[in-house]
Amino acid sequence: MTPAELRDAFRSWLAGADLDASPVQSGSVSVLLAHQRRLQRLLYDAGLMRWGWPESVGGLGGSPALRAVLGEELTSRGLVHTTTWTMLEVLGPAVIEYGQPDLVAEIFPRLLRGEETWCQGFSEPDAGSDLGSLRTTARRTGDGDSWVINGEKLWTSFAHGARRCVVLARTGPAGSGSRGISAFLVDMDTPGISARPLQTMADVDEFCATSFIDVGVPAGRLLGDVDGGWRVAGHILGCERGAIFWQRGAWLGHHLGALLPLAADARAQALVGDAFQLLWAFRTRSMATQRQIAAGAVPGAETSVDKIMIAAAEQAVFDTARELLAGAVETGDTPEAASWRREWSYSRAATIYGGTSEIQKDIVSLRLLGLPRGAA
Amino acid sequence: MDPEELGLLTATLDELAHAHDGAELTKSLDEFGFPEVLAASPREAVSSLFTAMGQAGTTSSAFQAVLLASLSPANLASGNPTLVSPTTKANAPLLHGEDEAPPSVVLPPIGAATAGRVEDGVITLRGLVLGQRSNVGPFLVPADSTNGIVWVRLSGAPGDLATEQLAIRSVAGLDPALMMLEVTATGPADVVLAGPAADQAWRAVVAAGRRALAYQIVGAVTAMLDLAVAHARDRVQFGQPIGAFQAVRHRLADAYVAREGAAAALNICWQADDEELAAMLAKSLAGRAARIAATQCQQVLAGIGFTAEHPFHRYLARALVLDKLLGSATDLPAQIGARLAAAGTLPRLANL
Repeated sequence: MTPAELRDAFRSWLAGADLDASPVQSGSVSVLLAHQRRLQRLLYDAGLMRWGWPESVGGLGGSPALRAVLGEELTSRGLVHTTTWTMLEVLGPAVIEYGQPDLVAEIFPRLLRGEETWCQGFSEPDAGSDLGSLRTTARRTGDGDSWVINGEKLWTSFAHGARRCVVLARTGPAGSGSRGISAFLVDMDTPGISARPLQTMADVDEFCATSFIDVGVPAGRLLGDVDGGWRVAGHILGCERGAIFWQRGAWLGHHLGALLPLAADARAQALVGDAFQLLWAFRTRSMATQRQIAAGAVPGAETSVDKIMIAAAEQAVFDTARELLAGAVETGDTPEAASWRREWSYSRAATIYGGTSEIQKDIVSLRLLGLPRGAA
Repeated sequence: MDPEELGLLTATLDELAHAHDGAELTKSLDEFGFPEVLAASPREAVSSLFTAMGQAGTTSSAFQAVLLASLSPANLASGNPTLVSPTTKANAPLLHGEDEAPPSVVLPPIGAATAGRVEDGVITLRGLVLGQRSNVGPFLVPADSTNGIVWVRLSGAPGDLATEQLAIRSVAGLDPALMMLEVTATGPADVVLAGPAADQAWRAVVAAGRRALAYQIVGAVTAMLDLAVAHARDRVQFGQPIGAFQAVRHRLADAYVAREGAAAALNICWQADDEELAAMLAKSLAGRAARIAATQCQQVLAGIGFTAEHPFHRYLARALVLDKLLGSATDLPAQIGARLAAAGTLPRLANL
């Protein structure tokens, strides 16, 4: 299966599919997730959902680029919301890499079919950009058969609908920084876990505060090695810049394209042109990253450039929308206006989530430009 | 071209572009066989040489060779036989004679869309020539007319001048080392190409010119960034290299990210469905990177970068002048937006 063949297969499938994409405009997480599950099931049954995932976990094999292609076909038409489509991609590859093979073989097909969703327990109230300072703990029980997790996670997207969570917790002594962290795949129905949605300026109840009180986790749920969680986290953050970025860029293109009928004068055209060139810079950059991933590489520091670019493009696209929609974002109360307002508001966080632009610039300057680490 | 050949080509052109400048560089490129490489492997030839000239801060007639190559019949879908490139001498030479020097294409002056206007058979010309082989002509002028773009030929030879007035000024301006000419003339127009083929030829020249200029700008941005990064590592203030201060290194990261965006856009523009749009985007992003790098690197280089003895200002001038040719980062976004609005859909341009 080549990308071109998958595009053709998708388009043939779409022509005959009975698909209502209107839930994508909803601000309700339960509506978005229900749509995501329904769509995944349809795509799974059509075989399209399985390309690019290993056969050992229920996939059909082939290049990971196939997943980026499928995501692009969907988000560039607004058939699925970019954030719900993202979840599978964030955690899937790392769990395949570091999880117990039997467990992964059992649960991964359910993830592909949309029967369960997962979430990511990384950030904490006192550990945002400085993730290595996280304070959630995992203590081994006396018999060594399990772990007990205690702590508070923040910004856990879709935690309230999730079946499982990848949790980073401190297994080393306090002050062990990134060296004393381990990763666990935790069932969200384990006693002691509660997820409470946060109210945000974007009016989307996607993000949760998730607390873990004496949560028992079997030893087999450890991902990778004890104190090896930083590698797992790095793998996950690397995945965030793969197929996810590609489909998110296509989602931005879908929104910019919707504004073209409003680009009637030179001022509006300049805004559209500027947003498009930033999106194009991102897309051409990301294309090289996707090809690296397809060739089996795990891209490193250089993807910080991709992250800075997509954040700039995202804000430019929705700032352009706010200008061209003439008041819809500020004073409109139709469902369509509310959807634009939500997307514009969400884009304010593009330079914050997934590692702030400042952290990315630090990585660029230290690792790519070779500038010295300093005291200030 | 395999990776080994490409590596050798890039290294050779890089060496030449650093060792020579102007007519000397043109001569060494001719001896090397650059026109043949350009005809056989345009992508590799243009990307290697223009990036190298940007980094070296040099200039040559290769720019004109690139513009003329885009006029070769093979590069025009209509295969118009009246336009002749120096590499296809077998064709009937309407634009320049066999024994005549190859012509130089006159670019629109900064801020204008064409280099002149033809009305009632008379041309009013004002334009810029970059990378000319001689200081007197012949010139090929893309001019506006009531029937769209037409191409006008000016021989430039004494007594053979179809113009009442031809004035040629060596441009000093912000970047004297760029050795541009400003050509102004008024007089009877020798129109050598008109109609759809003329428009098509102009668009091909603009796309090729934008790509070459964008590579050269990206090379100059790289030079600015290299100078500023070296300074940020070496210069110690308050007891540490200034590059250790986040306020300093984030400026350099901004310049680096802008440069990477332009470079990525250039890399894809040879395989894009819409070559013209891809060239516009690459040129606009390169000009944007030039402005960001000029501002951020200047600030990091501070006092030393403001002196005439430090090379920084030459790269700044080069990048900012080239940004203004064939559409700047200020002008192009509106043109890109207009093109997208006219199409009504956002193109993917290139696929995985």
